[in-house]
Amino acid sequence: MARILFHLILQRGIDMEDKVIEVNFGPQHPSTHGVLRIKVKLDGEIIVDAQPVIGYLHRNAEKLSEMGSYPKATIYMDRLDYVSALNMELGYVLTVEKLMDAQVPERALWIRMMLVELNRIASHLIWLGTHGLDMGMLTPFFYCFRERERILRIFDEISGSRLLYNYFAIGGVYSDITPKSISMIKEFVDDYEKKLEEIQSIFAKSYIYVKRTKDVGKLSMEDSISYGVTGPILRASGKKWDLRKNQPYLFYDKVNFDVPTRQEGDVYARFLVRIEEMRQSVKIVRQVLDKIPDGEFYNKKFSKPMLVRLKATGESYIPTESPKGEFGVYVIGDGSTIPYRVRIRSPSFANLSSVPAMLKGYKIADLTATVSSIDPVFGEVDR
Amino acid sequence: MSDSILMTTLDEAMNWGTGKSLWPFTFGLACCAIEMMSAMGSDYDWARFGSDVFRDSPRHSDLMIVSGTVTKKMAPRIRRLYDQMAFPKFVISMGACASAGGPYVRGYSVVDGVDQVVPVDVYVYGCPPRPEALIQALKQLQDRIVAGKVKH
Amino acid sequence: MIQVESESVGKDGTKIVYVPKENLLEFMKEKKEEGFDMLLMVTGVDYRDHLEVVYHLLSTSTGNRIVVKTKTEGEVDSVTSLWKGADWHERETWDLVGIKFRGHPNLKRILLAEGWVGHPLRKDYPMDKKQYVNLAEDGEDTVSFDPSEGY
Repeated sequence: MARILFHLILQRGIDMEDKVIEVNFGPQHPSTHGVLRIKVKLDGEIIVDAQPVIGYLHRNAEKLSEMGSYPKATIYMDRLDYVSALNMELGYVLTVEKLMDAQVPERALWIRMMLVELNRIASHLIWLGTHGLDMGMLTPFFYCFRERERILRIFDEISGSRLLYNYFAIGGVYSDITPKSISMIKEFVDDYEKKLEEIQSIFAKSYIYVKRTKDVGKLSMEDSISYGVTGPILRASGKKWDLRKNQPYLFYDKVNFDVPTRQEGDVYARFLVRIEEMRQSVKIVRQVLDKIPDGEFYNKKFSKPMLVRLKATGESYIPTESPKGEFGVYVIGDGSTIPYRVRIRSPSFANLSSVPAMLKGYKIADLTATVSSIDPVFGEVDR
Repeated sequence: MSDSILMTTLDEAMNWGTGKSLWPFTFGLACCAIEMMSAMGSDYDWARFGSDVFRDSPRHSDLMIVSGTVTKKMAPRIRRLYDQMAFPKFVISMGACASAGGPYVRGYSVVDGVDQVVPVDVYVYGCPPRPEALIQALKQLQDRIVAGKVKH
Repeated sequence: MIQVESESVGKDGTKIVYVPKENLLEFMKEKKEEGFDMLLMVTGVDYRDHLEVVYHLLSTSTGNRIVVKTKTEGEVDSVTSLWKGADWHERETWDLVGIKFRGHPNLKRILLAEGWVGHPLRKDYPMDKKQYVNLAEDGEDTVSFDPSEGY
């Protein structure tokens, strides 16, 4: 009798230990990436499944772009990936110029290239600062934001605004770069690499950081390609694919730079890839500063007053390499002044969909490190 | 009891204490959150005004800065977070989207301003507002609290 | 070899092919075997009398791109068995344009709240009829046309 009771109790104990708990990692949380909600299923401390729930910042950028004219839609593109707004404007403006068969002067294209690379450095600096904050380190946040302020002052001098510019026009850029801004850029690139060494050493010399990020959040190359993941995550998983080298646009085939790649595919590899990308961007900016020709910066044919608007027919999609991955805008025009369909291919949307594959089998404490290494920006994911 | 003459100095002291040490609750939704983070950085130094502790839990903080667009899916959760804060609590609505809808006001899933969800004390305009504008809003709120004009 | 209905070239130089919707899955299998290993995005377009689904494909080994389109009245086969990234893109197309994907494991709304009525990116969506969202006690969203019941 006692043996039967003993077996019954043991059985119930085993059954109760098999339950899987669901935890809500809600839309507001300390890891400052915006409004992401993840429903995590835990078996003890091991993650069994992690499903992201998005849509908390759905701001109808596509529908509103289809209700206005072509130049008006640029303001919605700015606010997609708000930390690197010029990359977003570039993707839109290149497509619309193809639709309208616009000729853009050479000086404008070189200016665009230089500012887009500076914006890439600014975006990676925000990532570095907030990644340190997620891992519990407060110092890199202040160092990175101090460097970023110098870039924002350059943009303020050129375009009048710090964060959201509305500077790239259809047919060129709205205003020229001044000699003062050129001297500010020269001063920045001269000593940026020393500062980057300082920031990198804070992370690399910290034993805890390296232990927390090596072999965590691995994504294989086949999985990355199947999920549509592009950008630094794909390059850290072993595939050398960068649109600036493989399918060049603007004048990327006329400057020298490398594409950093790693084989491991974990969080530490993504960190190293982004740091190296910042160094290559500085190299590009230095070369472009010597190569900018003089001339026109705006094709005046496209600066028509409000009453006479620009018409476009056909469809096109020009992909560009933004700091998060492949970004492009697919525009269908039907011959009128209003676009018929505007569809935004956002890299963070595809990158975030690979979270279940990245987190399965790891512990709950690895969740913040993995999600922050994807670098999602929610203006882009939810549009 | 707090209107009697015996309590006026104590009231003033408490208002001064509340106003000069507001602890913000980071509620960064969209682009304005990046300018709020820049205001926290070393160039614009928000910490010298007494708010150097950014608390991540609503139960520990008394100032909520709503920075970014409020969508219909997110609005009930903002209300829930506001209800979890303890009195006295204050709200700054930062940016054009949180004040009145911003560039997205004609959208089908955007709430026209956060004042339809929670009561707001100070509005900051701009898209996005410069960090100096946010610091000016903080100073205005501090002056109103210290003068005793905000009853919470 | 599946025969395509028509071929053309877009303004950016990419080949565009129209495929009848019955042969869509077979055609996509052929394309995946040819080397198009990345699906970039799935778009739904409302042309007032019919709907279209547009797929952008990329081959990371050769760099070729191709655009595959198909006309439909409302239902298409899902390609989640070929590319895992198609999962979220198809959910978004169902949410905003209203095209159903047969064989999708989890076809629910992804950007709007569950319970939203209508598909906003259609050309006949009434923008003046606003809907209001609130949070029920169990953590799920409730949607209604009554302004006093939500935000």
